[in-house]
Amino acid sequence: MKVHLPESLDALWDLLDQHPQAGIMAGGTDLLVSLRAGKQHLPTVICLERLAPLQTIEPLDQTLRIGAGVTLTRILENSLVHTHLPLLHKSVASLGSPLVRNMATLGGNICTASPAGDTLPALYVLGAKLSLASAKGRRILPLESFIQGPGKTALAKGEILDSVIIPFPAGFGVQHFEKLGQRNALAISVVSFAALIRTQDNLVQRARFAWGSVGPTIVRSPQAEKALEGNPLSLEALLRVADLARAAVEPITDVRASADYRRRVAGNMVLRLAAL
Amino acid sequence: MKTLSFIEDIGRRSPRFDAPDKARGKEKFASDLYPENLLWAGALRAGIPHGEIRSIIVDRALSMAGVHAVLTRKDVPGPNRQGFVYWDMPVLCGKKVRHAGDAVALVIAETREILAKALESIQVDISPLPVVDSIDAALSDQAPKVHDLTTGNLLKAATITKGDPAVLATCDILLEEYFSTPVQEHAYLETENGVARLDKEGILHLIVSTQAPFRDRLEIARALGLDPGKIHITAPYLGGGFGGKDGATVQCLLALAALHAKGRPVKMWWDREESMVAGYKRHAARMHYCLGAKKDGELVALKCEIDYDTGAYAHLGVEIMALGLEHAAGPYRIPNMEAKGRCIYTNNPIAGAFRGFGVAQVSFAFEGMMDRLALKLNMDPLALRRKNALIRGDKNCADITMTHSTGMAECLLRLADHYLWTDRGKWVAAAPRFKRRGVGISAVFNGMGYGHGLPDYAVAKVRLTQSGTIRVYNGVSDMGQGNASTFVQMAVEILCQDRENMELVQPDTDRTHPSGSSSAGRTTYTYGNALIKACTALRDKLCNRAALMLLMDDARGFAMVPGAVRHLATGKEISLAALAAIMHPEDRLCVADHLMVTTPEMPQGGEAFSLGFPHLIYPFAAHLARVEVDELTGGVCVKDYLAFTDGGRVLNPQTFEQQVQGAVAQGIGYALCEAVQTTQSLISTRDLSTYILPTSLDLPDIQSHCVETIEHSGPFGMKGIGEVGLNGPLPAIGSALIHAGLPMNRAPFTPERILAALQGQADKKKEPPCR
Ligand SMILES: Cc1cc2nc3c(=O)[nH]c(=O)nc-3n(C[C@H](O)[C@H](O)[C@H](O)COP(=O)(O)OP(=O)(O)OC[C@H]3O[C@@H](n4cnc5c(N)ncnc54)[C@H](O)[C@@H]3O)c2cc1C
Repeated sequence: MKVHLPESLDALWDLLDQHPQAGIMAGGTDLLVSLRAGKQHLPTVICLERLAPLQTIEPLDQTLRIGAGVTLTRILENSLVHTHLPLLHKSVASLGSPLVRNMATLGGNICTASPAGDTLPALYVLGAKLSLASAKGRRILPLESFIQGPGKTALAKGEILDSVIIPFPAGFGVQHFEKLGQRNALAISVVSFAALIRTQDNLVQRARFAWGSVGPTIVRSPQAEKALEGNPLSLEALLRVADLARAAVEPITDVRASADYRRRVAGNMVLRLAAL
Repeated sequence: MKTLSFIEDIGRRSPRFDAPDKARGKEKFASDLYPENLLWAGALRAGIPHGEIRSIIVDRALSMAGVHAVLTRKDVPGPNRQGFVYWDMPVLCGKKVRHAGDAVALVIAETREILAKALESIQVDISPLPVVDSIDAALSDQAPKVHDLTTGNLLKAATITKGDPAVLATCDILLEEYFSTPVQEHAYLETENGVARLDKEGILHLIVSTQAPFRDRLEIARALGLDPGKIHITAPYLGGGFGGKDGATVQCLLALAALHAKGRPVKMWWDREESMVAGYKRHAARMHYCLGAKKDGELVALKCEIDYDTGAYAHLGVEIMALGLEHAAGPYRIPNMEAKGRCIYTNNPIAGAFRGFGVAQVSFAFEGMMDRLALKLNMDPLALRRKNALIRGDKNCADITMTHSTGMAECLLRLADHYLWTDRGKWVAAAPRFKRRGVGISAVFNGMGYGHGLPDYAVAKVRLTQSGTIRVYNGVSDMGQGNASTFVQMAVEILCQDRENMELVQPDTDRTHPSGSSSAGRTTYTYGNALIKACTALRDKLCNRAALMLLMDDARGFAMVPGAVRHLATGKEISLAALAAIMHPEDRLCVADHLMVTTPEMPQGGEAFSLGFPHLIYPFAAHLARVEVDELTGGVCVKDYLAFTDGGRVLNPQTFEQQVQGAVAQGIGYALCEAVQTTQSLISTRDLSTYILPTSLDLPDIQSHCVETIEHSGPFGMKGIGEVGLNGPLPAIGSALIHAGLPMNRAPFTPERILAALQGQADKKKEPPCR
């Protein structure tokens, strides 16, 4: 296997052009696992780690642009993330372990497009947009349209994800993330749940929910969100939302948990909002 | 005079002797060895749990560049049988495969990559047989036989009886329950591995990650038809064992490979997936318990039936079942018992020795019964246990008189005073929203030593070297528990030397003496007893030789001091180096042995077990777990953990604590998340991303306290505590759950099972009542 470490985007475009079969590697924490398991065979791997433009975190107009190659550890250490995107912070902190986070990137978590990707529910409710770059230029896509199925994305040949643009959720007083794995670290989500809630006079004005690991991609439920709006964050109101959540998810049974359990918990997690 | 140096003698909390070298990466584990010019050996696994081998086509593999040999059953020179007692396990299967991890071919190749390709290219044609994937399947009338036994798949059945179990029917209180426990993986950091080489003289040298180098020699010799005298085995420090390296793993395969490697060294190292599929595991068990008691909580009778799934081969399954029966009613005074056991063959992964050896399973059941009894009687669960706890002079449930150290009651007494227990009401009441709290306890024990019928002996050797250092020849593997370090500490104590003056040799069939396996909580106990004799003999000898040199009439008034022997009255000293210089090398050596005492008592029915039953000496422990359950997810979190352990006298508080901490961590994993899952006998938890071990974030702070009794038969009063700590967590957490309103009969307590229990969907099956 040949490994390339381009140091500029131009060099990257050339390499992508010369090696259309090449795999792209950021932190390698997904890619190398799949190579070892023999799930894919790559003649060539092109690494993104030396590309400076992918390594920056910069604020811009009530948004934060995070380079796709920024490691999760750097995201956790960034004070803007801490202050303005606590939801993202919580979800990143739940991913893997310190060692994994030292290598893993935000771009990698998105491009892997796993239904269990732990940053995804947060990025969905935050309304993240993706900047995709190629030799031909750039395009911006909402995250929801980028991810098309388990392991499937809208990335075109010769294209990479270069950064993630995340709006600050102004006025959302409740920013909640919960992950249930089979243990408290180094765990693939069995069910995860992200919520953003804006209240006024103790009534919910706007709610955004997303669930992980309970469908082929992240699950949203506009019905559940609507059902909460205009209500207080009471157990009674949340019980109705929970039912809608259970109706919205499409979980599977695997070695970690049964579909039935996942469905039940996807609803139950909503009730936690009553305890905040 | 060195200022900071001190003698790291008995009782001192001293760091391990091996710690500096391990921390610096200087200590070499077997897996660290890459001898020059080495070849790689690897086994092809059947991949099918039950079937008849029709053909194995190896031509493609053989023709690959870099492949040295491809071996099958016909290349195995001897009877091809391994296994402790039953010799039922082929080195390479020829006719039949009995589990998916069976080895059917062995490849020797130049590199690991070529090895992998060659293994892939072998075509094995196995015609599948119906799979015996559970105890029920194994015992059904139509069950295909895993082995050709007249008893079908029943490897062994036995019943031990005490008193008159029929009184059960007349008891004030009668409780009945079913319990089951999962298959647990050892999951050591260092997976099974070793290197082997056949030298020009025809001696086969193996360096293996093994708990039993001396037995390995016999296993290899028997399986391959070799002369054990021509097999030399070294056992460096292990990166974990827990029982999983007690018994042949890579040994026979490696030896066979070395026979075909033309004198080149061969390395075999199972990766995690291979370790998972081919390695030994803890027996899954199902247990049916009927307990009878008086209204005041006094235990009267127990009847139980315990089935162990031993998988495809016996390993130590029968002995493990024997310990289950021996401990079936817990560390309690109970006058009547009938414990029936069955050890059953299936096509599941092979079950074998694992810390808590058959006892970990029954601990869940007998302690589960105690909690149910306490609830039934509305009695404090700790008071109930104290009321029945064994004391010296009692007969335990296997009819053995407690003549040795018996600290069960004291462990419970200490626990009763602890704030984690006394404050429990407040803590439980303060549960946050959507959380439910419970505090549970367990009382456990674990017979130590091989037990009756299997002589538990060790031969210790200690030498004054030419340069004046003291060298201890450890004969029992140190798999991480720290016995080797404790041996140095014992020698330091008796010979009064600095650590800098000590050397340690790890087990080596040429240099050290057969001293049994590293297992059964016996390692420090038995070898330590022998070592005390050897060191005492060396001390007396050195004083004697010093007296000769200093022209004294006899050795009275001499003592050893660091680096020298001193005549106390005159202050005259002779250095150890000077002594060594005048002594004959053979005179600078002391060898002594020790044979562990066994009990002359035998319960009715116990004769069924010829090896290792029953025991005489038991360590005891009382554990406490504070548990918080999430009512929305069913997640269980152990918030605090407390262990009181009676291990006799504590020789090194640090090592003692490490044993308790490690055992509790492993036990919490057993309780909460660890389970090897199979579908039709094929493992679905194939690696450590699906076989779930607890991480540091899943474990609470574990408080460990020792309850020091004195074990008069033990070295400096100790007895082994390597296993007992594992038995506590599952019942303690189960106890916490039942007192939080969640009676659980099936381990592990996964969120899914807990959520079902929260919703009132009991996981109990309805089964026939007690007879
Ligand atoms: C032990 C362990 C624990 C883990 N725990 C978790 C967990 O708790 N939660 C979780 O969600 N994940 C977990 N993961 C998965 C993984 O760490 C994350 O998905 C991580 O974010 C992947 O990032 P990476 O940079 O390592 O991706 P890589 O492995 O480098 O890449 C992943 C995929 O994305 C593509 N890719 C990466 N970057 C780009 C880019 N900029 N443009 C185009 N394509 C790109 C690659 O071609 C590849 O297909 C774990 C992995 C391991 C090994």
